[in-house]
Amino acid sequence: MNQLLNKSQIPRGKVPTPESGIEIKKTVCDICNPNSHCGIDAYVKDGVVIKVEGSEENPHSGGTLCSKGAASRQYIYHQDRLLKPMVRTGDRGSDEFEPISWDDALDMIGEKFNTIKSESGPEAVGYFVGYPKWMRPYVKRLAHSFGSPNYMTESSTCFSATLMAAKLNYGCFGPPDVANTNCLLVWSANPFYSNTSTVRRLLDAIENGLKIIEVGPFTTPLSRHADIHLRLRPGTSGALALGIANVMIEQNLYAREFVDKWTTGFDAYAAYAKEFTPEKTEAITGVPAEDIIAAARMYATTKPAAMMTSASPTVHHTNASQNHRAIVALVGLTGNFDEKGGNHVCPPGYNEINNGIKMREGEFTQSRPWADMAPRVGLDAHPVWCKQIPQANAMHLPFQINSQQPYPIRALMGFGLNFNMWPGSDYMADALTKLDFLVDVDLFMTPTAKMADLVLPACTSFERSEFKLYTERFGMYTEPVIQPLGESRPDTDIIFDLAKRLAPEDPLLKTDYETCIDWMLEPQGLKVADIRKHDGGCTLEGVNPPPYRKYEKNGFPTPSGKMEFASSQLADEGYDALPVYTEPKYSPISTPELAESFPLILNTGSRLPMYVHSRTFRLPWTRALRPDPLVDINPEDAEARGLSDGDPITLSTPKGSISFKAHLTELAPPGVVSVYHGLPGAEINNIIEPDYRDPISGFPGFKSLLCQIKKESR
Amino acid sequence: MTQLTFSFDVNRCSGCLACIVACQDQNDFVSETVAFRQVTSYEERFLTKSRISFLSLSCLHCGDAPCVMVCPTGAIFKNSEGVVDLNRELCIGCHTCELTCSFGAPKFAEDGRMIKCDFCHDRVEYGLKPACVRVCPTKALGFGPLKDISKEKTKEASTKILKSLLATEPSKQP
Repeated sequence: MNQLLNKSQIPRGKVPTPESGIEIKKTVCDICNPNSHCGIDAYVKDGVVIKVEGSEENPHSGGTLCSKGAASRQYIYHQDRLLKPMVRTGDRGSDEFEPISWDDALDMIGEKFNTIKSESGPEAVGYFVGYPKWMRPYVKRLAHSFGSPNYMTESSTCFSATLMAAKLNYGCFGPPDVANTNCLLVWSANPFYSNTSTVRRLLDAIENGLKIIEVGPFTTPLSRHADIHLRLRPGTSGALALGIANVMIEQNLYAREFVDKWTTGFDAYAAYAKEFTPEKTEAITGVPAEDIIAAARMYATTKPAAMMTSASPTVHHTNASQNHRAIVALVGLTGNFDEKGGNHVCPPGYNEINNGIKMREGEFTQSRPWADMAPRVGLDAHPVWCKQIPQANAMHLPFQINSQQPYPIRALMGFGLNFNMWPGSDYMADALTKLDFLVDVDLFMTPTAKMADLVLPACTSFERSEFKLYTERFGMYTEPVIQPLGESRPDTDIIFDLAKRLAPEDPLLKTDYETCIDWMLEPQGLKVADIRKHDGGCTLEGVNPPPYRKYEKNGFPTPSGKMEFASSQLADEGYDALPVYTEPKYSPISTPELAESFPLILNTGSRLPMYVHSRTFRLPWTRALRPDPLVDINPEDAEARGLSDGDPITLSTPKGSISFKAHLTELAPPGVVSVYHGLPGAEINNIIEPDYRDPISGFPGFKSLLCQIKKESR
Repeated sequence: MTQLTFSFDVNRCSGCLACIVACQDQNDFVSETVAFRQVTSYEERFLTKSRISFLSLSCLHCGDAPCVMVCPTGAIFKNSEGVVDLNRELCIGCHTCELTCSFGAPKFAEDGRMIKCDFCHDRVEYGLKPACVRVCPTKALGFGPLKDISKEKTKEASTKILKSLLATEPSKQP
């Protein structure tokens, strides 16, 4: 497995001693999202990583890793790693490439992009960041300094719609203050598989008596700890939240003082919520009325109470934006907004980590104001999202490539671009073929990379430096633990070299990564050099948690200065101001005729412990933990179809069919099946329609679709 | 002789499977399907609700290990820490240990000889934890001398009972 050492060269037991020649070097794992990124102790022998474990001094992950991070060696040394820049010689997708030097590759990009800029304007070149996310600030600045408003990320399918919904209500939002709360309402989140790095603390809190209310159709490792589990029908969380609000208002359990003083639109909201009686809410959601009442009472009367949502399960529905607004409205309704032990608001920090640090990331990334650039991709289709999220909308990209309206997109600079992320992936893949020039920077030769004109090899977090923050007011500046493999390079080196060709006048992109971070750190009075001295990271001196109830001093950053139960910003764009509940576009209630042919509700993309998107499918260790493309199906639904565990099945949607194997499990409730996304050969997004999306956010309805399952003859 | 043992808390394990991969990484398993730990899930349904539980199991390093007794060549032995260890030079690949082990601990390498969990005893001697314990994100897995673990369990359970006896708040709903 290790390219450079065979087993006989690895000392027995791998104990790091002077005699064994094994050194421990500190870095971070960046396989999943920045909210985890566990600290890594890399065991290095003769320049090769021979083992990994978590760094015990890292206060976030505390020495632990998940199965993905533990498989880091197979990730770093995988045979599919790109080792040289490659230029395509055959047809798109043909896998016919030849090596090219870095200078020639970067010159080619400079020439192509600058030609397109002079012919069609800078907006005709798009920039995209998928995973990992560490280079995001620099790609956004590069795009805008080049003159293009079209900086897009995978956040067009993840987190940004939950942020948008919360910002419409409050202007800002905060995570649950788990350490200080007495009741945690976990709404469609499975922290055990999505943010493994901190679940040990959640379990400690549960052992100390923390009450748990879990909301979500599926049973998770959390369910055994939940005092109440509300297993709702997928896509109905807006109705459930309104039903819970109604109980609180009817029983006078809401925070009257906060509501009177700090909110607008309450009377209209209360009048609307009144329609959602426990009985009606049960009829819509499938959750028993008495459970709805019990959950409402527990969340409203246990003080303080916090709400944990996830990045996307609540917003992967065609009715998602209003659903999520209804959910987070409960935080204000119960007086838990910006409270100790409630949801504590922290101002933006750096790269998705907000720990009280004062950094000017926004100022750095927005190097040119929106007003000085063409309208962003998606501004016409999703104006509310675009006003809240400083990016172009990637979900709209294939539509604009095809329509060329309001202007053509001719080239794309992708970092970790994966067309399987889009609903109707074939539609996105086809759109990519219409570009004049496509570049992908990646670790591996992926199906998307095969479509590119130029493929550039990035390196892993083990092979470079990274400035990394943690919520515990801890920071780190890593040093490479091994040399980059082949000719691969850190993404940031590629970006700064591109900037010389694409934005030569930008004073900060003329410098380097470390200088730019120092510039962003200036308000905090910290320097990279000080943090860098501490191998494995350090507590950030002078960084303090923000106070609670900041709104008492500053008001809410909304148009009214208050929490808005009725959103003026939605009303301005012609949407319902209240969090009005509508059925998912396809559901047994909204499309009963379609549901006759497709009677099962399909949920896609819920986390499994060994995978995060497509990142670890190719690693033998993680793949072996769940090698087959499986559909989780309740034994009741399986029996009705004559299915046994492991039977080959065909899953069909109105768009198409894919072969899977049946996985009989009580984790899926009757009537609902679940499929992991992106599995090679069983890419579920291919049989989702490209426009099956929420109109406000543009988010795909990945978690409430309709399907049918039939047994295949063996 | 001390007896080292693993501890496991069923209320904390989330089935994340990290212990399996950490074992593979520590032991350089080329075959992705072999690890000295296995995680098994168990599901229960209660009307409309369900529950999933997990057990992570490796060699238990039995006090009175049957594999040690049946090994015809004496390849399997208990070391001074109570670890069931193996001298692979003596193993003839007869699989008798596999037949007698109730937990499926003995595995077999491509050379036909047995391989098994050695409690990462090189690491433990050096003051490190076994790889599977070290990685565990929920702290469900632990290790130590058997008598210390028993003491710790008694203490934990007593604290829990005390807390419930002294509780001023109503206890959890069923």
